[in-house]
Amino acid sequence: MNNFSYSRATSVQNAVQRASTDKNAMFIAGGTNLVDRLKVFLDEPSQLIDVSRLEMKQLEPLASGGLRIGSLVTNTALADAPEVRRNYPMLARAILSGASQQIRNVATVGGNILQRTRCPYYYDTAFPCNKREPDSGCPALTGINRTHALLGASDQCVAVHPSDMCVALAALDAVVEVTGPKGKRQIPFGDFHRLPGNTPERDTNLEPEELITAILLPPLPFAKSGVYLKLRDRASYAFALISVAAAVDLAEEQIKDVRLAIGGVAHKPWRSQEAEQFLIGKAANAATFEEAAKIALQSAKPLAHNRFKVELAKRAIKRSLMLSAAGGVV
Amino acid sequence: MSKVMGAVNRKDGRAKVTGNATYAAEHQIPGLLHGYLVTASIGSGQIKSIDTSQAEKAKGVVAVFTHKNPPKIFKPSNNFISSKIYEARLPLSDAQVHYGGQIIGLVVADTFEQAKHAAHLVKVEYETQSPLTEFQKATFKEAPPFMGEELKFEKGNVATVNNAAVKIEATYTTTTELNAPMEPHAIIAQWQGADALTIYEPTQWVMGSQRTYAELFGLPAERVRIITPYLGGGFGSKAMPWPHGILCAAVARHLQRPVKVVLSRRQMTVNAGHRSETEQTIGLAAAADGKLMAIAHDVKSSTSPVDTFTEPCTRVTPVMYSAPNLRYAQELAIMNVGTPTFMRAPGENPGMWALESAMDELAWSLKLDPVELRLRNQTQEHQHQNLPFSAKHFTDCLKVGAERFGWKDRSRQVRSLLRDGQLVGWGMAGATFPALQGVATVKVRLLPDSTVHVLTAGNDMGTGAYTMVAGVAAETLGVSVEKVRVEMGDSQLPDGGMAGGSMMTASLAPAVIKACQDVLKSADCNDATDAWAALRQSGRAAFEATATSAPPEGEKKWAFQSWGAHFCEVTVDEEIGRLQITRWLSVMDIGRVMNAKTAASQVRGGVIMGIGQALMEECLLDPNIGYPVVYDLATYHFPSHADIPRIDVVFVGEPDLNFNLAGARGVGEIGITGVSAVIANAVYHATGKRIRSLPLTPEKLMADFRALTADETRDAQEMKELIASNKSHERVAGHSQNV
Ligand SMILES: Cc1cc2nc3c(=O)[nH]c(=O)nc-3n(C[C@H](O)[C@H](O)[C@H](O)COP(=O)(O)OP(=O)(O)OC[C@H]3O[C@@H](n4cnc5c(N)ncnc54)[C@H](O)[C@@H]3O)c2cc1C
Repeated sequence: MNNFSYSRATSVQNAVQRASTDKNAMFIAGGTNLVDRLKVFLDEPSQLIDVSRLEMKQLEPLASGGLRIGSLVTNTALADAPEVRRNYPMLARAILSGASQQIRNVATVGGNILQRTRCPYYYDTAFPCNKREPDSGCPALTGINRTHALLGASDQCVAVHPSDMCVALAALDAVVEVTGPKGKRQIPFGDFHRLPGNTPERDTNLEPEELITAILLPPLPFAKSGVYLKLRDRASYAFALISVAAAVDLAEEQIKDVRLAIGGVAHKPWRSQEAEQFLIGKAANAATFEEAAKIALQSAKPLAHNRFKVELAKRAIKRSLMLSAAGGVV
Repeated sequence: MSKVMGAVNRKDGRAKVTGNATYAAEHQIPGLLHGYLVTASIGSGQIKSIDTSQAEKAKGVVAVFTHKNPPKIFKPSNNFISSKIYEARLPLSDAQVHYGGQIIGLVVADTFEQAKHAAHLVKVEYETQSPLTEFQKATFKEAPPFMGEELKFEKGNVATVNNAAVKIEATYTTTTELNAPMEPHAIIAQWQGADALTIYEPTQWVMGSQRTYAELFGLPAERVRIITPYLGGGFGSKAMPWPHGILCAAVARHLQRPVKVVLSRRQMTVNAGHRSETEQTIGLAAAADGKLMAIAHDVKSSTSPVDTFTEPCTRVTPVMYSAPNLRYAQELAIMNVGTPTFMRAPGENPGMWALESAMDELAWSLKLDPVELRLRNQTQEHQHQNLPFSAKHFTDCLKVGAERFGWKDRSRQVRSLLRDGQLVGWGMAGATFPALQGVATVKVRLLPDSTVHVLTAGNDMGTGAYTMVAGVAAETLGVSVEKVRVEMGDSQLPDGGMAGGSMMTASLAPAVIKACQDVLKSADCNDATDAWAALRQSGRAAFEATATSAPPEGEKKWAFQSWGAHFCEVTVDEEIGRLQITRWLSVMDIGRVMNAKTAASQVRGGVIMGIGQALMEECLLDPNIGYPVVYDLATYHFPSHADIPRIDVVFVGEPDLNFNLAGARGVGEIGITGVSAVIANAVYHATGKRIRSLPLTPEKLMADFRALTADETRDAQEMKELIASNKSHERVAGHSQNV
C-alpha cells in the first residue's frame, strides 16, 4: 500500500471540490471494498476523502410514491427498512444474500454500486489484466473462466460485476443521483455501469470527481411480488454464479408487465428488456417463461469453463418468473 | 481406567474466546522486524534479473534478500528421524522457479506495511517456460514408498477373476485442496547471539522442529527453543518448517534482530502445502451374494519439482474389505505446483472417497443393501501386513448407524423420494483411519498447594489435548480436573511427540497415566490427597515423576485401526443444481473415548471439512501462468454454517487395551474419511446420477437435468410419510459406548 493522506469531507461540496483538484483522490465510505483493494495494490490513491460522515444517510419517501435512498444508508439498514421489505422485497433479499452481516453493517449503498469485480486475474498484480493495466492482456480468456461473463463482454475483458443489490436496482429502474463540480445530475441505472468494450478500466459512467448522493427508486406496485434468486458455490458468503431479480405483474393469467435482471453474467447488472418485451401480453406459464429465458440468453458467448452458466441462467430465470407469478417469496 | 471421562469442557476455552491465548505471531518482542515474501509470478522458468534497488530505498527497509545474497543455511539430513523439512529445496538457493508463487525473496523492514510495500517494488525479469499444471497432461511414474510403506501390493491374481456375477470399474477424481487453517502460517525468530535461537511458530511437532532448525543452522538441538502453546489448526501443514520459516530464521541470524514473517492467505495457496489432485480407478468383482472376489485400486497423484509427496490413497485398500484377489498400485507425476503435503487423513480421505463410492455402485448393481454388502465383506485382518486387527467394531458402526438413521425405511429406487418438489436421497459409507502412537514423555509434579502440574512438549493444535491430558491425570490421581495445570508446546519440556497422524492422545495418555502412577508410587500413596499430605509433611517442593510411552509392544501381533460409518440425507434441487445436506449421523469406533465432548467435536470438524471437499473446495490453477486463481477465504470456498446440518455423533466399541494403557486410538482424522462418498452416494439415490469427480458443484448436479415424469412423480414417496413413520433421527445424539 502506498502512502496517502486521509481526511474527512465537511460537506458534499467540499468532497467534490477536493476530488476535482486531485485526480488521484478517492472517496471512501464503508471501506469494505476499497481497503481490501488498497491492501493488494489495486488502487494507489494520493488521498482518501472520507465521506462516511456526510448527511447522506436518510431513507425518505418520494412524492411520486417511490423511495430516495441516501448513498450512505448501510446495506443492513436498507435491507431491514419496512418500506423496502414490503414494497421492494427483491431488493431486501438481494442485499441479504450478499457478503456477511458484519460487512453489510458498514457497507453503504454508494460503495456497493461501485464495488469492483472479483475476477481473480484483476485481484492479483501477479497476473496481467486490462482492467487494472490497460493493454496488458486478459488471461481469463484462455485461463480459468468458470465465473466469467456470458453477455456483453469484449476480447479485452470478461469480468462480471459482483453486486447483488445492483441486480435488483437494475430491475427496479433505479436512478443514481450524483453531484459533481457542475452540480447535480441523474443517471438512469441502465446507463450507470458500462460494458467493457475497449475501456475495461472504466466500470461506470461516473466521473472521478462525482459523488453519489442518493439512489432514487420509482414506485412499482407489482414489485411486491418480486423475487431474488441467487445461485452460488455455497449456501452463504459467496458471490453469485447466477442471480435473477424478477417481478411479474399479472392480470388474470396474463402478463401485464414484468421486470427481469440477471447477475453474474456481465460487466454490469444485466437487464433483459428483450425478454420483458416478449413476455408482455403472454400467458404466464412455464413454456412462456422458458422461451423468455432463451431470449434473455440468446446472445450469450460462453467461454471454456462457464458454458453451464448459460443453462443455469435460463433455469434460474424460469424459476424466478414462476415464483413471482405465484406471488413471490420473501 | 475403564470408564469414559465424560464430557469435559476445554481447559483452554476461556483463554481462547477472551483473546488471552497468545498465538505465534502475537508475541510482543522488542525490536521486532517484519519480513514480507517476494513470490514468483510465473509458473516455471529462471529469474533473469531481479532489481531490488527501489525496495532497498523504500522507507523503513532494513534489508532485501534474494538468491543473489541468500542468508546462510545448512542442508539438513531431512529424514524424519533427525530432521525434516516440507520442501527439500532450500529457499533462495538458485534462480530457478519451479512453481507459481514460489518464494524468490524476503524484504525486511521496521513495519509490516513497509515490508509489504517494498516487496511490491522488487522488479523481476524471467526467462519463462510453459508450466505443467494440468494433471491430464502429466507423465506418471511408479510412486516411491510412503514413509517406508510400499504403496504397491498384490495377493491372488485380480486379472484371472472371470466368474464374477458382477464386475464394476470406475474412475474417481479429487481436486487440489488447501489445508487452510484458521491461523495463518507465521513465525518469529529471535537469536541470542550467533548460537542460540528461539522460535515462536505454530508447529504440530515442537521437538521435530527443534531438531530441524538446529540442523539448518548447525547448532546442537538444545540451543534451539520452539514455543507453541497454541495452534490455530494445521491439518498436517504445520508439522515441519516450510521455506518461509527457514528463511525467516536465517535472516534473523544474519541481521541479529528478531524477525517475523506471516503468510498472506494468497501465499498460503502455494507456500504452505495442499492435498494433491488424485485420480483413482477401482475395479470390484463380486459373486451374486455380494462376496468380493477381487479389488483393484490404481491411483495417480502429483507432487512438486522440489519434493516428493505421494497422497497414499491405497492405504485403505487392504484394511476395509476382504477379497482373495487384491491389488493396488500408485503413480506419481511431477508438476509445476507448490509442494503437496499431509492434509487431514492423507491417503485415507481420497482413498475412501473412491472405495466407498465404488462399494455403493456395486451394491446397486447387486441390488443389495450397501450396509449389508459391507457387513458381508469385512476383513478381520490387515491384508497387506497379514495381522489381525486388535479390535474392530465396524459391525456396530454399521448396525447402530443403520438403526438410528432408520435405514431400513429407505426407498430402494433412485429418484423415488420427494420433499417440497425436491429430490431426496439417503447415503451411507464407511470410515477408517489407522491408529498410530509415537514416543512421548510427560512429567507430572504434585505440588504442596494441592495442585498437579503436567508438563510436556507435545502440543494442542486446537483439538483438546490440554483438556485430555488434564482429564487423564485427574482420573489417574483421583482428583478433580480443576486441580490440574497443564503446560505444553515448549521444547524445553519433555519430548511429547507429534500432534499428527491422530496420535497425540495415543502417545500422551499412556505416558500421563504412567507418570501419575509413578508419582503416587514414589510418594507411597494411593491417591493424590494422601500424597499431598505426605508432601507437606516432608517439606519437599514437589513429588515428581517422568514417564515415557512407546509404540505398542503388540505391534508385531496386531494391526491397529479405527472404524466408522456415516449416514446422510440430501435434498437436490436438480433444475438449478442446488444441494442441501439435511441430516447427518456418524458412528465411530475409536477405542476409548477420552472426552466425549472434544472427541465429538473432532468428528464433526472432520465431517464439515469433508463436506467442503465434497461440495466446494477446489484450488484451481491458471493453466498458462501456473498460479492459483483463488486468493483468500472468500474465493477458496469451504462450508459456511448455512451449508451444515446438525451432525449427530455416536461412539461405539470399547477401549483398545492391546494398543495402549489408555485404550484410546485417536480421533482427529477419521471423521473426514468417507464423507464425500456418503454425499455422492446420497446424490445418486436422490437423482440417479453417479458423480465421480469432486467437488459436486452446481454444474455437475444440474447436468442432464430432466423433470420428473408424471409416473415418477406419482410413484415418488412423499418424505412426509417416511419421516412420520421414522422418528429415530430426532433422538438426541448419544455417546453410547460399551465400556
Ligand atoms: C468478503 C466479502 C464478501 C462480499 N460478498 C458480497 C456479495 O456476495 N454480494 C455483494 O453484492 N457484495 C458483496 N461484498 C461487497 C460489499 O457489498 C461491498 O464491499 C460494499 O457494498 C462496499 O461498500 P462500502 O461502503 O464499504 O464501499 P467502499 O469500500 O468505501 O467504497 C467502494 C468504492 O466506492 C467508492 N465510493 C464509495 N462511496 C461513494 C460515493 N458516495 N460516491 C462516489 N464514490 C463512492 C469508493 O471510492 C470505492 O472506490 C462482499 C465484500 C466482502 C469484503
